[in-house]
Amino acid sequence: MKSNNDNILQKTGTVSLWYRSAVVTAVVSGIFSLIVCVFLLGNHGRSIIVKTQQETELLDLRAQSRKQPDNEQLLAQIRAMDLQIRQQRLRALDRSTKGGYLLLGGIVVLVISLKLTGTLKKKLPAPHASKDAADEQIRKAAFARWMMGAGVVLLGAASLFLALKPKIDFSLTGAAGTSLTSAEQAAKSWPSFRGPDGSGISTHVNVPSDWDGKTGKGILWKTKVPLVGNNSPIVWGDRIFLSGGDPNALQVYCFDAASGALLWTGDVTRVAPKEGEDPLEPMEDTGFAAPTMATDGRHVYAIFVTGDVGCFDFNGRKVWEKSLGIPDSSYGYASSLAVYRNLLLIQYDQGGIEDGLSALIALDGFSGQIAWQTKRPVGNSWSSPIVARIGEQAQVITCADPWVIAYEPAKGTEIWRAKCLKGDIAPSPIYSNGLVFAVEPYSKLVAIRTGGAGDVTQTHIAWSNEDTGPDICSPASNGQFVFLLATEGLLICHKVSDGTKVWEHDFQEYFRASPSLVGDKLYLLSEKGRMFIIEAGPAYKELTKCELGEDCHASPAFADGRIFIRGMQNLYCIGSSN
Amino acid sequence: MIRSAYVITGIAVLLVSCGLVWAVERFPPPDFEGGHQLPSPTTPHPRQDIYEYIDVAVLLAALGLASYLVLKKRSRRAIFALTVFSLLYFGFWREGCICPVGATQNIVLSIFDAAYVVPITVAAFFLLPLVFTLFFGRTFCAAVCPLGAIQDVVLCRPVAVPNWAESGLRLLAYVYLGAAVLFAATSSAFVICRYDPFISVFRLTGSLNILILSGCLLLIGVFIGRPYCRFLCPYGVILRQLSRLSRRRVTITPDECIRCKLCEDACPFGAIRKPAAQWSGQDYRVAKKRLALLVLALPVLILLGGWAGSSLKAVTARGHATVRLAERIYLEETGVVTDTTDASSAFRATGKPIEQLYKDASSIRARFGLGGWFFGGFVGLVAGLKLIGLSVWRQRKDYEADRASCLACSRCFEYCPREHVRLNKTKDIKS
Amino acid sequence: MAEDNKIINRRHLLKDGLWGACLAGLGMVAGSSANKHRKTDTVWQIDPSICVACGNCATYCVLEESAVKCVQVYAICGYCDFCPGYFELGAAALEPGAENELCPTGAIKRTFVEEPYYEYSIDETLCIGCGKCVKGCAAFGNGSLFLQVRHDRCLNCNECSIAVACPSGAYKRVPADRPYLLKGEDHA
Repeated sequence: MKSNNDNILQKTGTVSLWYRSAVVTAVVSGIFSLIVCVFLLGNHGRSIIVKTQQETELLDLRAQSRKQPDNEQLLAQIRAMDLQIRQQRLRALDRSTKGGYLLLGGIVVLVISLKLTGTLKKKLPAPHASKDAADEQIRKAAFARWMMGAGVVLLGAASLFLALKPKIDFSLTGAAGTSLTSAEQAAKSWPSFRGPDGSGISTHVNVPSDWDGKTGKGILWKTKVPLVGNNSPIVWGDRIFLSGGDPNALQVYCFDAASGALLWTGDVTRVAPKEGEDPLEPMEDTGFAAPTMATDGRHVYAIFVTGDVGCFDFNGRKVWEKSLGIPDSSYGYASSLAVYRNLLLIQYDQGGIEDGLSALIALDGFSGQIAWQTKRPVGNSWSSPIVARIGEQAQVITCADPWVIAYEPAKGTEIWRAKCLKGDIAPSPIYSNGLVFAVEPYSKLVAIRTGGAGDVTQTHIAWSNEDTGPDICSPASNGQFVFLLATEGLLICHKVSDGTKVWEHDFQEYFRASPSLVGDKLYLLSEKGRMFIIEAGPAYKELTKCELGEDCHASPAFADGRIFIRGMQNLYCIGSSN
Repeated sequence: MIRSAYVITGIAVLLVSCGLVWAVERFPPPDFEGGHQLPSPTTPHPRQDIYEYIDVAVLLAALGLASYLVLKKRSRRAIFALTVFSLLYFGFWREGCICPVGATQNIVLSIFDAAYVVPITVAAFFLLPLVFTLFFGRTFCAAVCPLGAIQDVVLCRPVAVPNWAESGLRLLAYVYLGAAVLFAATSSAFVICRYDPFISVFRLTGSLNILILSGCLLLIGVFIGRPYCRFLCPYGVILRQLSRLSRRRVTITPDECIRCKLCEDACPFGAIRKPAAQWSGQDYRVAKKRLALLVLALPVLILLGGWAGSSLKAVTARGHATVRLAERIYLEETGVVTDTTDASSAFRATGKPIEQLYKDASSIRARFGLGGWFFGGFVGLVAGLKLIGLSVWRQRKDYEADRASCLACSRCFEYCPREHVRLNKTKDIKS
Repeated sequence: MAEDNKIINRRHLLKDGLWGACLAGLGMVAGSSANKHRKTDTVWQIDPSICVACGNCATYCVLEESAVKCVQVYAICGYCDFCPGYFELGAAALEPGAENELCPTGAIKRTFVEEPYYEYSIDETLCIGCGKCVKGCAAFGNGSLFLQVRHDRCLNCNECSIAVACPSGAYKRVPADRPYLLKGEDHA
């Protein structure tokens, strides 16, 4: 008996010793694991925070050293910091690997000791007396069913909530623009040179026809534009954009349509001339900012005579900029920009016909990457491309010496081309009712039927009137008549059907702005800032004349009840205040 | 030197094309006068195929051994030893991949995607545990599955999960299975692999979120037995159904049950079923009516579930990368967002038409719509069957291990006096 | 009693039938997968013609040190002295130094071969797979530097986390016996 008891006592004694040591081991390893865990988390967190901090510092230092290439101390600093970052990365990696193993070890010991405590102090099973078994079972089952039902209802509610959230419907994409709203808004805005399709026709007919710059009548506001430029204003919604430049800066301006306030100025970096090269000095008539800007409602794009392109969002943040290299253009690069969906179209004509340097370039509006570029067999030109909707298709139509070429805008493949021009082509083409009108300065007006493919010189030229042609202004057509305005002030009206001259009128003033059509009226802006509003009909009839009081080279932009005119110094908003 | 850098910059700017160009050789490979030998890039090969076959062989052996140990030898110690071996081999050595749980997705993908061929070793990993379960019950779960092994090893203070919660929580596993099949069938994602909670422990590395998930699940597993196995494992759902049909099954007693009640609280996983009590006539009639109602409600639940699953297609379709890309492009095109992501700019650089992307996304959504009917219908079916199951009672006279829930861990054997008799530890005991 | 037996027998028959059906089902799955004849396992690899060198490979791998490294195909390399993958764009001088180099970990080694050629090789123990050199080489050079999954490091996860995060979808499953998609090789 006694030995038995002794045995049992001994056994329980050893058991409780094991038990106690197991508990102690469990506690110690538990705390150890916790500490290692916290350490690992801290290591991870610190490496992220410190790393990002150091990396931004290093970037700043590197940018600084670009500007001061001879600063030895800066270089030494950069090298030291870079070494520090690299060493810290390796150390952090090492710490986390070692820490992982330590944590694993700690947890293993913890689990073993916990399990030992479990086995050493086992409880004997003590089944409880069951009460009314049937009732209990039924009650429990009922409760379980209700809980299950609640779970299902919860799942149902969650899925209902998720299903009712607004979804993106992929079928809602417009044909013309990239979305329904953009296409509509594009039609109502003045997003590029001579309006949405480059025709100079305003979709708004309620524009003012009476103002006076000297008295201020009909002029809502006028704001000084910081730097000069020949580019015309573009309008989208309540924003007006202009660009300007001088040898020191290339800038983009955003004005508020209601108040005329200059909301922001964006700078486009001018790529520095290479060593030993003379800085570009463009012709004074052209200036640094001759090409008109373009917008697609998300971004605004500007190109300058130096071949530098900039893209900004409507808040003034520069999204990207790109340098295409200084184009070889005798008068200075002046082709305005055009936009098709998310692509920015640049007619980059340069050099002679044989040089093979000209190209039509499409940049992706979001990134500035070249989406496609197609070589053009033409010499340098100063006309701008237009994006015309011809049937179901959109075509980019370009004019230069000697070809008028239409391209498919998504990929840049040629659709048709016609050889009919010679010389320095500055007027841009227009499209009206199945005909493309192109002008050869001092020589002719050509009408080309669209719908052809390939070389259509022999087949699709409807007529060619060789009387004369303007050298700067682009034509305007209302479908019945096509109007040409020469720089010296000669306005000629031709019939669209066969090109015969109907009438002509000499204003005896100089014009640089291209004519615009508003309803059945022609708006012609002279160099002196005088707007002649005449009837666009079979006979010359002047309706009214409005003075601005400032010289103008740029073409006007039209909006709902408003006209925006850029004078040499100021931007004017013409409209009535009600 | 500096000038050449600028010259290169200037030329390069003109030459920059969208994306990276495939092998444009701007600078012709040099002609070395000194006869310099060009080194070759090293190409270290991946794990040899033979090791994959060895893994399958080890799996087969472990399954056979586990079945023997559970059904014939009935030794908890041996099972635990095998569990530890599986944890070390399939868990820490093979780092938990490929596992039968994830292999489900590979099989589903190979059914729906003609271009994807499941390697034979992966198919073996999927099939072997299922075949063994059809014969021997869930012996895979007992000692072979590394996920189960790690949970079993950390289980120290089992706490019983109340009955009413058990069934409802298990619905999550069915939802998980349905979701895994849906996303694998549409080639969107392998969700089981993505949210595998224990693989980061096996690899000793992983994203912070998954590591935290692992830690939480292991901590829960210290108290609640095998939470992943019982309430989340999608493969376990299949094993449950097959185990119900198995030829041999795990019994608590080696021969006969004497209803001593000593094993009532033996199972940390709540798989022991008590003998069913006799009901009064009235209770029986009420239960019959309720059962009839629930059986009628079953097709309604299936339809409702299917409809809900299908109407969620806009949400579930976002699991597919193409749909996510299309949505992002749409937001950019309509001006809702002003900047681009890596994915959207990479897509734009390819020059593929956006309309085609939208068409692809719409057709993927349609597939999710159809799949959603099956997914939701499946969940509805399971919920309905569970409700029915909670209204039906088998006439049970003995203490039994629930055919579907028993994980064959062998913990309950030593609670049975008959077992002690079998092991010659005590004299014969009669009821 | 006989009734009970009948019910029990019917139940057994049903159960056996289901059991047989399940076994047959598993057999079908086995048969169909064996039929498709994939002998080798598949591994993950990056298609360099699709990769945009976004830098995700360095951060999304489940391993702390990514299994993706840059490789150099010397046969394509131009051995340029101004290597745009080694030197940052607009580097002040074409000399090795932290201020001029692109690689954040200094994993590219530049060795002089003969005038004006330098050989550039990658030290895999230092490369983190960030792709900065890849971007530079592809934009301004020959594109001989590109990212590849290294199979002595890759765990071959069933779902590669980097593949999920890749913005251009450059990750593919390739047969394990041809685990690399090197430029200049035929990719069937």
